[in-house]
Amino acid sequence: MKSVRSPSTAAIRGLSMPSAAEKHLAQMESKYHELLEAAPDAMVVVNQGGDIVLLNLQAEKQFGYRRDELLGQKVTTIIPEGFAERLIADDLRSAEDALAQQIGAGIELIGRRKDGSDFPIELMLSPLASTEGTLVTAAIRDISARKAAEKHLAQMESKYRGLLEAAPDAMVVVNQGGDIVLLNVQAEKQFGYRRDELLGQKVTNIIPEGFAERLVADDLRSAEDALAQRIGTGIELIARRKDGDEFPIEIMLSPLESTEGTLVTAAIRDISVRKAAEANLLQKMKELYRSNEELEQFAYFASHDLQEPLRMVASYTQLLSKRYKGKLDADADEFIAFAVDGASRMQRLIQDLLAYSRVGRKGMGLVKISSEDALKQALVNLRGAIEESNAVVTHDPLPTVLADEMQLIQLFQNLVANAIKYQKPGVPLVHISAAKGGAKKWLFSVRDNGLGIDPQYFDRIFGLFQRLHKREEFAGTGIGLAICKKIVERHGGRISVESQPGHGSTFYFTLTEAK
Amino acid sequence: MAIEILLVEDSPGDVRLTQEAFRDASMQIRLHVACDGVEAMAFLRRHGPHIDAPRPDLVLLDLNLPKMDGREVLAQIKKDDALKTIPTLILTTSEAEVDIVKSYRLQANCYLNKPVRFDAFEGLVNSIKDFWLTKVKLPPQAPGG
Repeated sequence: MKSVRSPSTAAIRGLSMPSAAEKHLAQMESKYHELLEAAPDAMVVVNQGGDIVLLNLQAEKQFGYRRDELLGQKVTTIIPEGFAERLIADDLRSAEDALAQQIGAGIELIGRRKDGSDFPIELMLSPLASTEGTLVTAAIRDISARKAAEKHLAQMESKYRGLLEAAPDAMVVVNQGGDIVLLNVQAEKQFGYRRDELLGQKVTNIIPEGFAERLVADDLRSAEDALAQRIGTGIELIARRKDGDEFPIEIMLSPLESTEGTLVTAAIRDISVRKAAEANLLQKMKELYRSNEELEQFAYFASHDLQEPLRMVASYTQLLSKRYKGKLDADADEFIAFAVDGASRMQRLIQDLLAYSRVGRKGMGLVKISSEDALKQALVNLRGAIEESNAVVTHDPLPTVLADEMQLIQLFQNLVANAIKYQKPGVPLVHISAAKGGAKKWLFSVRDNGLGIDPQYFDRIFGLFQRLHKREEFAGTGIGLAICKKIVERHGGRISVESQPGHGSTFYFTLTEAK
Repeated sequence: MAIEILLVEDSPGDVRLTQEAFRDASMQIRLHVACDGVEAMAFLRRHGPHIDAPRPDLVLLDLNLPKMDGREVLAQIKKDDALKTIPTLILTTSEAEVDIVKSYRLQANCYLNKPVRFDAFEGLVNSIKDFWLTKVKLPPQAPGG
């Protein structure tokens, strides 16, 4: 090491008679001192023996000692490990090594205050040649705050990693270029790759279509759009495993701001099971629909084909009755009468059943029609029954609705026929009206002054073959109101009844309004 | 002179019922029966055992028949110059619109549904007798017949 006559405080202090050179030295020392005190870091100058020969105010503050308590003390007092050892090592090193250390990054050690508390420090060393040999200047910075921040960051990162790994879904983080930058263990499992096989690879390797394209789109979108997408429902795509197998996935994307620009985090869920369940459900629905369809077809064809032999039974029993009534004996007349009656009833039943199954079979032609015209047609069809019963049928102006005309006529016909039929002695009064019944609906009512219905039967009367009266009182098949219900429900409406026994009934149904 | 009617009907029950309905008639009616379309055409063209068959004044034709169905019989009658003037009435249980339209397109003279009740059937037969056999002026025997 060069022998530069650099000043050393200890050396200078011993001199009492200042010369010109000494004056210069004193000035230099004073400047050096100022520099030392002005340094933002704690500065400690140590000799080769590890003794502190100089320190500044920051060093006093940082370690909690007065200057005189440290001068001449071992540096291990304030830096127990790693510094003193380095002095020896430094001693053995070449000048180049020392220089390298001088400009090198700081050494992280632990400092100890007078009160015994430790704190992390960063040390920058530089050699200082003096008359007493090479001294070492140490700039000591308290790095507690930085260490705490680093620790916090490390914790955060570990938490984030933990979160990523603990996520039930496969998570893949992709950059704008479509490269995979991060993934979790679920992603490894789901796609059958090792992590290192995917990192840096294009995301199209595992999601061939629909994802990479979206990244570009994301780039063009506003922050609001990205947010909307984040909370939006998943996108269904097809993923490909390493072995080439494909499986359905649902991905949820969310933007992730990073130093490398906006990344996209994709939570990827294997929805094979759900898809299979959906397909299964769809299949079941189709089967149900088909079996329903078959049932209706069956009802239709059964009733249709039953008509033929029944026509024979009915016709010939009637012919028998016509030709031989009163010519055999009283028993024969009675037997024939029962046969004729049974056949007639069965004919009505089959015709009503046919009408019931036709409601489902016939294609619905929902068109704008005047419900008033439909009612009028129904009343024409019922002319005989109305005249016979002396019924008075009135109605308010009725609206235009969306309906199948034939079915609406049948609906009015069945309801008005019932109103006339289930009567007590007196003049049957029937009134039909309509009122707004909620959004885009009309609520129709058919009110009568007839027998009324016990509330306990309100639901039952709309079922197939449900009858409330003995056949001797009122003939009927128990299908009329079932047809009404089917017609109304096929039109997307509801049918109900309000009644009190002895005080008439009001049947309500809704239909969609036509604008 | 008796009125000759050809009933083309495969159901024995319906044949008998039709015979019964026509039986009470005050007029003299001869009801001939063919059980399928092929036999109906043989009767009309006097083929085989029908060499001596009379030319009918009226044909009552069911639509659904074995061998050759009623639509084909109707088409052949209306294509045949010797037969096309014979009033041909469709008498069937089918209420299908497609059958009704097709029958009239093939020049059926009218389309009737078999009523379910016997009294109604009797009424229908009486209407036929009253209209087709009484009021209607039928053409004279065709040039060929």
